[in-house]
Amino acid sequence: MSNLTEIENDKQEKQEQVDIPIDYSVKHPLQNCWALWYFENDRNNVWENNLKEIASFQTVEDFWSLYNHIKLASELKQGCDYSLFKKGVKPMWEDEANRRGGRWLISLEKKQRPNELDRFWLDIILCLIGEAFENSDEVCGATVNLRSKGDKIGLWTADATNGNAVLEIGRRLKERLRLPPKILIGYQSHKDTMDKSGSVTKSSYTL
Amino acid sequence: MSRQTSEIKAIPRRILISDPSDINGSYSSTPGGTLYSTTPGGTKIVYERAFLMNLRNSPISKTPPNWEIPKSIALKGSSPANRTEKTLHTKSSKHVKQNAKHTNGFRDDHEQFQLEM
Repeated sequence: MSNLTEIENDKQEKQEQVDIPIDYSVKHPLQNCWALWYFENDRNNVWENNLKEIASFQTVEDFWSLYNHIKLASELKQGCDYSLFKKGVKPMWEDEANRRGGRWLISLEKKQRPNELDRFWLDIILCLIGEAFENSDEVCGATVNLRSKGDKIGLWTADATNGNAVLEIGRRLKERLRLPPKILIGYQSHKDTMDKSGSVTKSSYTL
Repeated sequence: MSRQTSEIKAIPRRILISDPSDINGSYSSTPGGTLYSTTPGGTKIVYERAFLMNLRNSPISKTPPNWEIPKSIALKGSSPANRTEKTLHTKSSKHVKQNAKHTNGFRDDHEQFQLEM
């Protein structure tokens, strides 16, 4: 009896709300737990102390709750980074999960900060938490660097020698970010980035 | 990880696969592909972009986290992403602390549905 009334009430409520008929009453679980990191360039501190794990989440709603209440990447100060990594992986080369890996690097021009940086960063996040890559096991995380000479976005993978996975991820990344074919992105192993002699790191793959 | 469903409702773009014929190949290119799909390595929870974007506006998603966001990255009141909510959480840390104290018990129970839709 009371059940029936409840169903009726539910129905009515539904009809009043209807515009976007999505079930808002449950949280949607993610495949992985993800952690957001923030790096602030404070020269009084050593590098590692400037890097802070802000929060972790493992549902779609908890991600948005965080994202909706923090600054956009473009609003961060020069020299700062956001990173989103699988929980337990630190956004640094030295981490066991990253040591043998590398990153797809998107170098932005200055003029892209107001228009495209935030879209790219959000689209990368949605690729990560939505498991958009076939080889998503290979994905470690992503970083966005706010730099005066040009912002950078990197997608980090676990194994620089796994060519098939690296290329699949790179292709999907380009497609999801809607990068025009003439814009080339390069994949650099962290080892090469560490060992580089000049300012340019050689790319192991280019797409 | 198993899906959490409280009851059966008609939910567009969230698809329960009970038979291979339910699978609509257009949702993603994951083999066997749909939002919740089986991949060679086992079951993987895959969400397409549009689905994730839709959930951005759910009441839970609009509710601030129930802990204090560090000042350096917390939104200021004027920020566009802060459309409807009052920005208690970012005004001053003193204010935030007081507010948190007053509402603590309440929030713990109902944090997901604090904001009006």
